[in-house]
Amino acid sequence: MFSDFAYLIVGLPVLAFVLCLFFGWHLPRGGGFMTVLATFVGLIISWGIYKEMPALPNGILHQSMPWFANFNVGILVDPLAIAMLLMITFVVTLIHTYANAYMDGDPGAARYFAEAALFTASMLGLVYSDNLLQLFIFWELVGLCSYLLIGFWYRKPSAAAAAKKAFLTTRVGDVLFLLGIVLLYNNMVSLNLHLAPGEYLLQFPVIYKYLALIPPTQLTFVALCLLGGAVGKSGQFPLHVWLPDAMEGPTTVSAMIHAATMVTAGVYLVARMFPLFYAAPNALTVVALVGAFTALFAATMGLTTFDIKRVLAFSTVSQLGFMMAGLGVGSVVGAASVGISIFHLIGHSFFKALLFLCAGSVIHAVGTNDMREMGGVGKYMKWTAYTMLIGGASLAGFPLTTGFFSKDEIIVTAYEYGLAQSFIPYLFLVLAAILTAIYTFRLWFVAFTGEPRSDYHKHESPWLMLGPLCILAVFALGFGIVAQGGFYDYVGTNFDHYGVNFAELGVIGGHAIEDAEGVAAEGEHAVAAEGEHGAAAEGKEGGDAGEPWYIQILPIIIALGGILVAALFYYLHKFDPSMITSERDPIRKLLLKGYYQHEIYTQWFAEKVIYGTAIVCNMIDIKIVDGALNWISEVIVAFGGGVRRVQTGVVQNYITAVMLGVVVLVVVIEIALQVGFV
Amino acid sequence: MIPVELYILLSSVMFTLGLYGLVTQRNGIKLMMCIELLLNSANINLVAFSANQPNANGQVFALFSIALAAAEAGVGFAILISLYRLYGTIDLDNINALRW
Repeated sequence: MFSDFAYLIVGLPVLAFVLCLFFGWHLPRGGGFMTVLATFVGLIISWGIYKEMPALPNGILHQSMPWFANFNVGILVDPLAIAMLLMITFVVTLIHTYANAYMDGDPGAARYFAEAALFTASMLGLVYSDNLLQLFIFWELVGLCSYLLIGFWYRKPSAAAAAKKAFLTTRVGDVLFLLGIVLLYNNMVSLNLHLAPGEYLLQFPVIYKYLALIPPTQLTFVALCLLGGAVGKSGQFPLHVWLPDAMEGPTTVSAMIHAATMVTAGVYLVARMFPLFYAAPNALTVVALVGAFTALFAATMGLTTFDIKRVLAFSTVSQLGFMMAGLGVGSVVGAASVGISIFHLIGHSFFKALLFLCAGSVIHAVGTNDMREMGGVGKYMKWTAYTMLIGGASLAGFPLTTGFFSKDEIIVTAYEYGLAQSFIPYLFLVLAAILTAIYTFRLWFVAFTGEPRSDYHKHESPWLMLGPLCILAVFALGFGIVAQGGFYDYVGTNFDHYGVNFAELGVIGGHAIEDAEGVAAEGEHAVAAEGEHGAAAEGKEGGDAGEPWYIQILPIIIALGGILVAALFYYLHKFDPSMITSERDPIRKLLLKGYYQHEIYTQWFAEKVIYGTAIVCNMIDIKIVDGALNWISEVIVAFGGGVRRVQTGVVQNYITAVMLGVVVLVVVIEIALQVGFV
Repeated sequence: MIPVELYILLSSVMFTLGLYGLVTQRNGIKLMMCIELLLNSANINLVAFSANQPNANGQVFALFSIALAAAEAGVGFAILISLYRLYGTIDLDNINALRW
């Protein structure tokens, strides 16, 4: 019964968008309650669908109708999508509730809630699209909303610049994504498939079904293009530069878009297309390396930032790297990695939304983003301090919190990947995990403990803000331990509903992990397959046994060690950062400068390379392309200018010309008659 | 009976005079008169050939032609009057607003 109303999950937020946009001005708090209500009803419908799904054919909900040519619009809810739907509607409902208090009194509140509702609608639409084209449309809508919301305070030049930067940077990825879709479509067309009625070329079930027929090199091209889109949207290296700047928007926007939901769209895309990535040779390796590198790279930058929101932003980039790496190492554990990665995605959205909302609560009270001006906030904002502690512990991977289970699983899987192929991702992820624990607790200790370092308003936030914090804290704490095993199986078996044969795809992709199932691993794969044989089997059980004990408990040591280091430096003040580094230390300088990214991206790449190229292109355009056209027109004008002198405007001249003409004509005719032509 | 060649000679002379006037004169009214000369030389031809044959068609044509010439003169003088009001002259050399 809920399944029949699946379209309302997107429909209601769209309705809220329209209502807020046109009537929000007249309503209290900009009509924010409508946005909350729309999302909350979406949560109820999603839950209903989740309960009904086992009874549906294939265990998935699929509704579709023709659109134009051989495209369709449709709704596809499978375990992967329902996990995302529930997470998004749940987290966004809480954030909207919080925003009702946070945005109270802002003259643009109605605009905020309208844009937030549109964002919610597009994100939900993105998640349960049943074909790539529709997904792309919502993908772009999400990007638009991100632009609008980052630039929400558009009178602030830095906010306007950040919005532009975000839009342009993600555009690079989006163009690649579109290219990937076109490539995939061309390949699907060239297969000359005989599709059953109701099947369309870009539908996910159809793609999964005929994937194996596409040439492997083409698959790699498609996969890398799609990865480009994911890299742009999920802030992976080298397109991560927009995400820290995106913190110019209101904190609720950072929490909703740039931490919990939108930036996970890239990870979701890779997860959604996982069979394709799996079948494409080398694609998953790239995913793993990009993810692992980003995880470490962003974590190091999080260490030196003093803006409370930017620390969280770098941590988001880093955690998204974990998710990407979690998918990338899937070449050794197969589809189970989707479960692992999405589990981290969901857990992350709980604790990162929590952290951002706490940060918002602090900023709301203190009135600055700079940690150096805070200090001792915990004394005056007990609820915020403790909920943030829970969020931080979860992010750092403190044992038995959500982050512990999800991150642990990715690291262990990376270890299995290391046994089979390369230890680079594992190494990067472990280092990133240590740094995560350090910078998270550095943030907490610096902001919440000690003595106030500036004169700020010491008051706790209203309950409308604290309520969502407490609910999120419960989830950040308990979701992992409750959902752990069952979740992997639920989402990890997502592609079984479509009958995707990973053994067959693995042979195409050169992974060949499931040789125990009877697929012969030939030649070069055999060695690798032997090593990961055991690992693969455990991967399916959630990777609980089989690894050496020190690998098992390493994540616990990492988390506790990182927290201890942070405590020594910033709480107990046993050490001082200046004891190990100095002003002239090149590494410290490198980190403080953010790896000279501003210099490389903006001053060198944008202002020198791109601007230089633009100047050259402009010259070519003006001198050669326009020049040729102008030359032609000048010749014609000059010719006309000469010829028009004939038209003197003196009637007599014309008459003379007519007369002469007649005379010539007569003479010619006479001669013709004489000669005998006529 | 007067031979037809003499009529043709007369009409040729009239035509040439008209043409000469058209090319050399600048005054609008003089040009109108020259055009009348051209038309009438054609009329003489029509009447002369018609009288030479047992057929009145040419003379009927000549009557039509005269009626047309009258209408044409009416239009022409109307244009000249409005030109005079606009420019204060009917010297066609000065009336060249449509020239390049």
